[in-house]
Amino acid sequence: MESNTTGVSSALRPLAETTWRFRILVVLLFAVIGWALYAYSVQLSVGLGSTGMNAPAYWGVYIVNFVYLIGLSAGGVIVASLAYVFNLKEYKPIARIAELLAIMCLIMAMIFVTLDVGRPERLVNIVLFGNPWSPLVWDFIVIMIYLAICLVYGYLGTRSDIVAAMKAIPKRARLYRMLALWYTDVSPEARKKDERTLRIIAMAALPMAIALHSVTAWILGLMKAQPGWHTALLAPLFVASAIISGLALVVVATVASRRFLHVQIPDALISRLGRFLVWLIPIDFYFAFAEIITIQYGREPAQFSTLQDVVLGPLAWSFWTEMIVGLLIPFLLIVRAKDRTPRRVGLAALLIFVGVFFKRIDIVIPSLIFRWLPFPPGGYTPTWVELSLMAGVYAFGVLFFVTFAKLFPLVPLEREHEPEAAEEAPHAEALLAEG
Amino acid sequence: MVRWGLVIDLDKCTACQACVVACRVENNVPIGGEEEVRKERAIFWNQFFSEIHGEYPNVRLHMFPRPCMHCEDPPCVPVCPVDATYKDKDGRVLVRYDKCIGCRYCMVACPYGARYFNWFTPEYGEGHGNHLNPDVVRDGEGWIVGPSPRPRGVVEKCTLCVQRIERAKEEGTPLGSEHEGGVVSACAQTCPAFAISFGDLEDPSSDVYRLSKDKRAFRLLEDLGTRPQVYYLSEG
Repeated sequence: MESNTTGVSSALRPLAETTWRFRILVVLLFAVIGWALYAYSVQLSVGLGSTGMNAPAYWGVYIVNFVYLIGLSAGGVIVASLAYVFNLKEYKPIARIAELLAIMCLIMAMIFVTLDVGRPERLVNIVLFGNPWSPLVWDFIVIMIYLAICLVYGYLGTRSDIVAAMKAIPKRARLYRMLALWYTDVSPEARKKDERTLRIIAMAALPMAIALHSVTAWILGLMKAQPGWHTALLAPLFVASAIISGLALVVVATVASRRFLHVQIPDALISRLGRFLVWLIPIDFYFAFAEIITIQYGREPAQFSTLQDVVLGPLAWSFWTEMIVGLLIPFLLIVRAKDRTPRRVGLAALLIFVGVFFKRIDIVIPSLIFRWLPFPPGGYTPTWVELSLMAGVYAFGVLFFVTFAKLFPLVPLEREHEPEAAEEAPHAEALLAEG
Repeated sequence: MVRWGLVIDLDKCTACQACVVACRVENNVPIGGEEEVRKERAIFWNQFFSEIHGEYPNVRLHMFPRPCMHCEDPPCVPVCPVDATYKDKDGRVLVRYDKCIGCRYCMVACPYGARYFNWFTPEYGEGHGNHLNPDVVRDGEGWIVGPSPRPRGVVEKCTLCVQRIERAKEEGTPLGSEHEGGVVSACAQTCPAFAISFGDLEDPSSDVYRLSKDKRAFRLLEDLGTRPQVYYLSEG
């Protein structure tokens, strides 16, 4: 009992202490969010004309970010559920971070869709008059189910640690009791029930994560008017880049949490995640190659014109940034096992994570710019309103993450002193639960 | 069953663009202003295109107006998340302006670029603003689908002058280009060269039925399988 208490308090220390650097970060984040709120007030009063969107760039950075964040969220959950479904104990320390990031990205994605619509006050029409044939409605349904799964998953996965935190930090007891939804039973039976539910949910979360990203891809891919999107490859390609970008985000957040929030995660785990990334990068290259060779060889005019726009057009910098900075350089950085230090893996993950954003630009914008009829050539440049709102949503995301990092231990507590405490050792868990 | 449609004879078309102007006035299409035209945010329910084919000295200039195609298989309708755009029983693709959430998915889905978004609150020049079309047309459920000025942030498009057709049906006036003084869309009525015919594509006695079977008849982007209800007669 005694030793457990000290273990818990050392893991919970980041929760109770707040450094001045942390305070400055929070103030900065609030400042960015405040500026974004001002930008949104401009957008609401002027209309979407205050953005850079036009015909044919009907969609712009908001939808690029929506697609990007949905991918990040799906990727995080795939990692988290694999850890649970296959009971890969060594990955469990990052499962909670992955889950938290998934929820954060989902919320951010939903904010971006709300920013994009011309009449946000009518969004309720999706519930009132939802058209079952619209991929947007499918996506809405999948997002809701997925969010529910993530929240239940997150809740059950952290509940016993919330109770532990409640006991360790008495001044926040009331808050923690509320976060635990007043269910503070951590008896072995209750925890076992949680574990069982968790595994079932983890199994459901995996296909849901794939469904979520496929449906999001189909919003674009089912449009025959958009030759750049209208390919059966789009959904698998989205899932692939969702996994790589989601995993990259988990790595970035893990390395950053180690560095700035002093969360304890072993080096070996990070280098193992790095190995995963190395395996995933060629898959992304493969998809890009399969797509390009098919279009290049057939030279079907509409698709060919879009491809040329992607590779050589005004947005070509984005394509090449993704290919070189987002895939090739990270691959070279961590391809050798001995190079996979936390710092290097973190850097490679950061490049991948940013690179996939450019990939989303390549997918969304050039296809829209293509037109079947002889319209004057189109273009798209985001305005300060869009960029400010984008910064604001990301600031919100970081704030969301660090708030939870201050509320919960980012790494499940049993890890600290009971590395074997999984299925095989329910006794250890039970002991811990009492302590 | 009725299926309204247009046939545009490109041999008769003089490219005067009176159809474009008549459409704007009839349907309260807002004026974007120069700046917005440059940003490609101008609204043209009926947009005029010119395209140069070939290279000097074998050059041909093609010009044609493009209203909404009112496709039989409209790609824009199934994508609408809130059922704001629909194919009505008379074969028109219409928008319920007060239901639209402004997601612009239908615009993304339309290969003809026939849909337009209200990026700003609609504005009209002084002359136009004082003479807005007061008609209001509602669908069976009471949603506005007719030409009253649209709010900001929604999608709008050609309705084949739904207000004219519905009024003529109420008043029992004959409809279609084949009738002397028959009610037709604004673009068809205003065309000085009688290049645009309006009528029921299902009625074998109508002009549009006959012309749509003409050897010169073709539809835009036929390969996409949208089956437009707007036909063109090719230039000879």
